[in-house]
Formats: sequence, C-alpha cells, structure tokens
Amino acid sequence: MNESLANVLFVLTSVTYVAASVLFLRFLVRGKGDVGTVGPRLIAFGAVFHAAHICVASLVLKVCPVEGIHFPMSVASMLMCAAYVVARKRLRVEVAGAFIAPLALTSLMASRFVGRAEPGEGVKSFILPFHVTLNLFGVALFGLAFSAAALYLVQERFVKSKRIDGMSRRLPPLDALDRAEHRFLLAGFPLLTVGIITGTVWAQRVEAGATADILRAVFGYVTWLVIAGVLFLRAAAGWRGRRAAYGTIAGFAFAVLVLVVYLTRTATPHTVASPTGTASSPVLTRTAVQP
Amino acid sequence: MSLPVVVIGVSHKTAPVDVRERFAAGAEILPELLARLTSRPELDEAMFLSTCNRVEIVVLAKAGKSIEDAKRGASRAVREALREQLGASSIDDLGGWLYEKSGDEAVRHIFRVAASLDSMVLGEPQILGQVKDAYDAAVAAGALRSHLARCVHRAFTVAKRIRSETQLGAGIVSISSVAVDLAKRIFGDLGTSTVLLVGAGEMAEQAAKSLAKSAKSIRVCNRSFDRAATLAATFGGTAAPLDQLEAELVISDVVVASTSSKTFVITRDLVKRVMKQRKGKTLFLIDIAVPRNVEPDVHKLDNVYVYNVDDLEAEVAENMKARHAEVEAAEAIVAAELADWAAWARGLNVNPTVVALRARTRGVLVAELERSLSGRLKHLTEGDRAALAQMVESATNKLLHAPTTRLKQAASTSDADAGDLVHALHHLFDLPAVAEALGEDERDSRMMKSESVVPHSEEEEQSGRLPH
Repeated sequence: MNESLANVLFVLTSVTYVAASVLFLRFLVRGKGDVGTVGPRLIAFGAVFHAAHICVASLVLKVCPVEGIHFPMSVASMLMCAAYVVARKRLRVEVAGAFIAPLALTSLMASRFVGRAEPGEGVKSFILPFHVTLNLFGVALFGLAFSAAALYLVQERFVKSKRIDGMSRRLPPLDALDRAEHRFLLAGFPLLTVGIITGTVWAQRVEAGATADILRAVFGYVTWLVIAGVLFLRAAAGWRGRRAAYGTIAGFAFAVLVLVVYLTRTATPHTVASPTGTASSPVLTRTAVQP
Repeated sequence: MSLPVVVIGVSHKTAPVDVRERFAAGAEILPELLARLTSRPELDEAMFLSTCNRVEIVVLAKAGKSIEDAKRGASRAVREALREQLGASSIDDLGGWLYEKSGDEAVRHIFRVAASLDSMVLGEPQILGQVKDAYDAAVAAGALRSHLARCVHRAFTVAKRIRSETQLGAGIVSISSVAVDLAKRIFGDLGTSTVLLVGAGEMAEQAAKSLAKSAKSIRVCNRSFDRAATLAATFGGTAAPLDQLEAELVISDVVVASTSSKTFVITRDLVKRVMKQRKGKTLFLIDIAVPRNVEPDVHKLDNVYVYNVDDLEAEVAENMKARHAEVEAAEAIVAAELADWAAWARGLNVNPTVVALRARTRGVLVAELERSLSGRLKHLTEGDRAALAQMVESATNKLLHAPTTRLKQAASTSDADAGDLVHALHHLFDLPAVAEALGEDERDSRMMKSESVVPHSEEEEQSGRLPH
C-alpha cells in the first residue's frame, strides 16, 4: 500500500463520478444517453473505487475511517452512492443520480482539499466512532432524500405549469419521488437522533466551548428539529409534496452546514487525532502523509 | 366553380376551452338552430357539429347564391343564436375566436375533421362517430338533403380510407389514453391508484377502458345511479350516486370528470375539504368535459393537479411527431379525395346547361313528332305512337351523349373550358338562362332524382365513388 495507489484510486473515483454527473445531466437536459443502466453502473463503480480509496488511504495514514471529519465525509458520500445503487430500482429514482453523483464528487473533493485539521492532542472516546458512524449513515440517507426532494420540486414545477413534455418525461413520477424522499428521511432520522444524543454526551465530556463547536451543535439540533418537523407534519397534518420537499432540503442544508463548520474549523485540543498522532485528515497531500 | 359550402366554428386550435365551452352550451338548441339556418333565404342545407374540441356549423348556399351570401347568412344565424343564448355583450368577445372556411377549403376541412386529422389526438376514433351523430341529427331535422349530405357522406368514406390505408389509427389515439399516460407521470404505476369516473357517458366509458387495465380499482359516480352501476359493472368497479362525490374523492387518486353539467361539479371548496381528509395525498383530476366540470382554481391547491382537454395538447404534440409519416399519407388521401370531389362538384355547374340542351332537343323533336302525328301519321295505332315516342327519346339520348360527356369532362378539369363550352351551347342552341331553364322546384326534384342523398349501393358506399 502506498500513496500512489491511493491517489490513483482517488482519481479513478473522481473521473467515474464526473462521468456519471455528465451522463445524468446530459440525459436530463437533452434527453440523450441511457441512464437506466449506464448511469447507475457508473455510480456503482465510483462507489467501489471510492471504498477502495478510503481503505487504502486509511491504511496509508493509519487512520480509522470514522475519525476526524475528512475521512467520515468521504465515507458518507460513498455510502450515499451505495445506498442509491441498492434502492434506485425499488424506489424508481434512477434519475436521482443526477444529484447523487455531483454531491458525491463535491464531498470527495471537499474531504481532500477543503480545510485541514492541524495535529492536536487527541481525545479518545469509544462514543465518538459510534457517533460518527451513525451520522455518516444519516447524512448519506439525507443526501438521498435531498436528491429526491430536489427532483420532486423540478417535476412538480413542470406538472403544475403543465409543461409536461421534454425534461418532465425523463424525471421519475411525482409520487415515486415523494415516497422515496419520505422513506430516506424515515430511515435516516433514527440514526440522526442517536447521533445527536451521542454527540451531546461527547461534547459534554470534552467540554467543547469554542464558537465552531457551538455552531456545529446548533446546526445539528436545527437539522434534527427540521427533519422531525417534516416527518411529524407529514403524519399529522398531511404536509406532503412540495412542503415536505422544501423541509427536507432545509434539513439537509443544515446537515451540510455542520460538515462545513467541521471542515473549516481550526484545530482545538479535542480535535481527534489519528492513532499515529498525525493529522486526522484523510487528505493525501504530501504534507499530510509525511511521517 | 366549387360548391358554395361554408364552415363557421371554433376548435381547440383557435380557442381555449373556456371559450369553447360557451359555444358548446348551444348544442341543446340544435333543432331550433338548424331550422333557423335552413329558413334563411341564402342557405339550403346545414349541419351542426359539437364535440369537446370543436363547435362548427356547416352550410350550403342555395342555388344562384354565392359563397359570400352563404357566409353572410350563416354568420348572421350564428350570431343571432349566440345573442339569444349568451347576451348581446358577449358576441363581440366570442366573435373573434370564430373561423370561416368556404368552397373547397371548407370541404377539405370537413374531410380532415371526419378523418381525425384536425383532432387534438390524431387518429382518435370518436370524432367519426360524432360527425355521424351530427349528420343523423341534421337529416332527421330535414336540414341535410342533397349536396351537403353527399359531402358529409364523402367525408365518412375519406375517414374509412385513411383508417384502413394508413397507420394513423394505430397505437395511442384517444384523449383517455393520453390522460392515462399523464396519470402515470404523477403516480407511476397505477396499480395502487383508485380511479374515480365522475359522469358515466361515452367519454367516461372510454376512460374506463384505458384505466381498467392498470388501475387498482374503478369507481363511478354519476347523477343517474343506474347508469353508474351499469358502467361500473362492465369494468368490475363500484358505483355511487353524485351526492356522495366528496366521500368518493377522499378515497380516489385519479379523477376523470366528463359530465354534461353546465356548472362546476368539483369546486375549489370541495377539494379543499377533500384534501384535508386525504392528509395531503396527491389528487389528479382530468377534466375532459366541455363545459368544464372542475373549477380551474382547484389546480392552485397543493398536491392537486387539474388537466383539461386543452392541457393534453403537449402530449398530443409528442404523439404527432411520431406520426408524421402517417399524417402525410393521410393528407395525401384527403387531397386525392378532394380533387375527385371538386371535379364532381364542378360537373354540377354544367348540369343546368345539359338539362336545358336536352329540353331544347327533346322539345323540338317531340313538337315535330306531335305535328306529324296529328297530320299525315294520324292513322297510327297507340302502339306505333308509343314506339315513335321511344324512338325520339333514344335519339335525344344518343345525339346528346357525346356533347354531354365532353362538357362534363371539361367541367371536371377546367372551369374556363367548361365556361366557354356552356357559353357556346347557349349561343348556338339559343338556350334559355339557367334560372329560366329551371324553376327552383324542378331543380330540387331533378337533383334528388339524378343524385340521391346517399350512395345507392354498398359498393358505392365502400368505394366512395359517386354516380356521375
């Protein structure tokens, strides 16, 4: 295992995601290409390369993939792609790849190039990997819910304005999108809930008090409240369709804000360090991987 | 010169449904309108066609009246009817949506309408039945008797030719099937969707045929419960009276409204209440009725989508692209039939001259024969006299066969040549002017004798060829 292999896998993953993004967008905008089989396969290959890259990079850096933020963010996007490949046919959301592929690509790039945790004194806790893992799955599912919600709003706009030819034909049925969005939220919400609880416990242990910590916690709670609100109002007051889609997008936006705060924060004493004591970032830049 | 046929109307191509539905309300006054049309001095025959996509009046000018006369007469009659029905203030607004076609263009339009080439859904089969209904109603009212009746009959033949010689009628061809396609855009698989038919008429039946295959269940809600029960039983569905509409809407996903009600059956307030009970579950309403059954504002409610007949046009446009080759083939048939018809119609213009020439020739011969029979030949028996009368008749026929044939041939190919020949005949044989030669009554009875309203035989009907 060496850095070159990790870099090759990184490039392969990126290229595959780019190709999938281009294919899906070309299909949506111009109606060209076959996204029924080729698009999801590209995302599947991307997820495989991505998983391999995470394994190799974590071995190279000797970092557990659920430590820090850069690795977990990369893992979350890989999980999102994997979940898409598994659920796309059952939920009839193949075209959601148009959002999934660019999201995964953005996440992959951000995890490598945005921010860099400085080496710090780590705080070991068994809660933390648990907290991170749950949130990883949660974010992956919310990413899928977000994709379905975004597509719902586009399709709903077409159907409401009665422009039902062209792109509208290539999008999934409204009801399928609404149902998919709801199911992804339902699956992700318990994970988020436990993730929030474990995060709160961990934050109390390490006595987090920096601005970034507070912001992160606030955005985390707001995410939970928004998603809970969307699910509750849907069940109690029939808030479906457009309202639910806007709520889902808002919830995911707050989840992304949490990640952005993580990525851009400066190192604090309780920043999780890798077992080797080097930077927790999975970024395979030359400085980061130097022993 | 072509027959003075005029078409005045509105269709889905010229007016939106909210305009068409105001015209369509006039369908009830059909007998009165037809009587009004045919009582006008300029008009001889008339037919009224009202479907969800068009409202048209087809008229034929009286002999000796021009197309312009026919246009004026039809236009006045239409406006008078509208004034009585809608009030004087509405006429100017609605008049702007009307189109007029005359002569060969009008005949071509009638052919295209019957053949479903002018329909919203190309190749849909219902329009031919609707034109036949309009034809039957006009014949029953005594408003279709001769040439216009023949023209509409010819349109049936054109439609049949197009259906059998092209693929225009293959594949998806009804508004109902387009509506089903749209429902799938919203719900995907309709296997979990309940379909409610509001109204149990022909359109509802068509919709049920399309939806029964894919929907989970079908429910029929109609003012007449018996009719609803009959339709529901045909498709294994459930019937309900119209006063249970709200409860039916709560449990349905796709609603097809096609009642003949003049007011909105499904209002915004009703759907608001329904959506609360449905907890926001998506509701798709397809309003294929004209006048519309669903209040347009219902579409503004969250998770509710209302599509009327006009909204289906986008789907139809896609349908048309795929059928371009078939449309071209069908248009070619229309063009060929129109040319054939026009040739026959031009031949009609020389008929008065032929009749006058025959009358002159026969008159001269009969007069001479009668003079001889009262003089030198008065000894002849009744049998001999009858034989001589028969001989005069045969001589007249043989003598005039060639000129009559050539005159009709000239008429079918060129108005100018036929005009020259007519002029020459009138000059050479000192024939009287047409109006003098034929009294109105004689003209009508002659037309009925020489060209029957409908083809005489099955072969004629199938071939569409007219007896020349």
